Amino acid sequence: MNIEAYISSGILEAYASGLLNAAEREEVERMLVLYPILQEELAKIEETQIWFLQQVAIQPDESVKNAILDQTKRSIQAKSTIKSAQPYFWAVAASISIALISSLLSVYFYFKWQGSEKSLAKLIAQNQQLAQDYTIVNQKIDQLENDLSVLYNPNTERIILTGTPNAPDAQASVFWNKEKEEIYLQLQNLQAIAQDQQFQLWAIIDGQPVDAGVFDFSKDALLKMKPLPGNISTFAITIEPRGGKPSPTLETMQAAGNTAKS
Amino acid sequence: MQNGDQQALAYLYDHYSAALFGVIFRIVNDKNAAEETMQDVFLKIWTRIASYDSQKGKLFTWMLNIARNAAIDKILSAEITKQRKTKDISDFVSIVESNEIVSQFNDGIGLQNVLQQLPPEQQVIIEYLYFKGYTQSELSEEKNIPLGTVKTRLRMAMLTLQSIAHKI
Repeated sequence: MNIEAYISSGILEAYASGLLNAAEREEVERMLVLYPILQEELAKIEETQIWFLQQVAIQPDESVKNAILDQTKRSIQAKSTIKSAQPYFWAVAASISIALISSLLSVYFYFKWQGSEKSLAKLIAQNQQLAQDYTIVNQKIDQLENDLSVLYNPNTERIILTGTPNAPDAQASVFWNKEKEEIYLQLQNLQAIAQDQQFQLWAIIDGQPVDAGVFDFSKDALLKMKPLPGNISTFAITIEPRGGKPSPTLETMQAAGNTAKS
Repeated sequence: MQNGDQQALAYLYDHYSAALFGVIFRIVNDKNAAEETMQDVFLKIWTRIASYDSQKGKLFTWMLNIARNAAIDKILSAEITKQRKTKDISDFVSIVESNEIVSQFNDGIGLQNVLQQLPPEQQVIIEYLYFKGYTQSELSEEKNIPLGTVKTRLRMAMLTLQSIAHKI
């Protein structure tokens, strides 16, 4: 339910000014229970309405008030005579049974109403869950599309990084687009490391190691690393303290691979 | 009030009768008929107050709904409908303002003064929906405005009134 659209449709104004038919009124009343923000909005409209109608009010003659109070006084007196009079016993008895039946009916309808209220709430929750799932799937597809566009680019070079004697099982691939200066990393296998450590990717440019970013092990998607310009000859992965270091700790090198240009 | 507390009814009357009468009088457009309607309305309020539910809006909104329906029922009776039809809708506001009842306006700023502060297309909406007893679809047909436009213009008009209220 798009609440903003519901509010701007003007239905609450129509409700406040008594312009809706019974079915439409009931619908709005259901919505008011479900969405407190609608109650706030309605309260604002009602305040404006009261203000406006007070501005354009017309004071009726005093005789109108007197006539009303006279009539209500008479109806009170009429009621009390009915109660005290014996001959009306059966009428009172009948009205009591009618009252009993109708209160039983209202209990029945109350539970029915409660039941439908519950299933409506359940449906709304399910709907929200579906919408969330849909968003997650959508994000995943976006990610995959993005990854594919990197892989399919003819200017993207794949460099396979193989394990060093430190870590013979380590394996990863770098996707490097020299023109766009983009570097992506895909991890196949790296050893587990401590919480306070992180992997760091290095690019060797003109014989010097340059930081290409830190990362944690993840097989979910391509990792986008720092973009670097220049002629990269080699990519290498080391283990460093979390956050990385300005120059590599060569003893911890996990995997390395040379580019075609080297 | 359910127990016949007349004081409560008198309180409601003192606070809201003028605002409700402003609507009723303009819809039925006849002093006697408006006063009869006013009595019907307060007797209905008196007998039905137990059915008022504060979750569904303010008490005034509930009373306004009763007043509007009673006023429309009143003009459905033949002779009043006839009288009403002879009066041109366009000079409706001026009729009300020039009526002898104008002297009994409370110290509010008056219908015309408020309406003049609205854009013309919103004035029409307020006049017809509040003071002519039209439904939104009746107004849509009468003025050849799409129903959706009538609905959103009513909202726009209320927002304009809200900003006027805040300025004062």
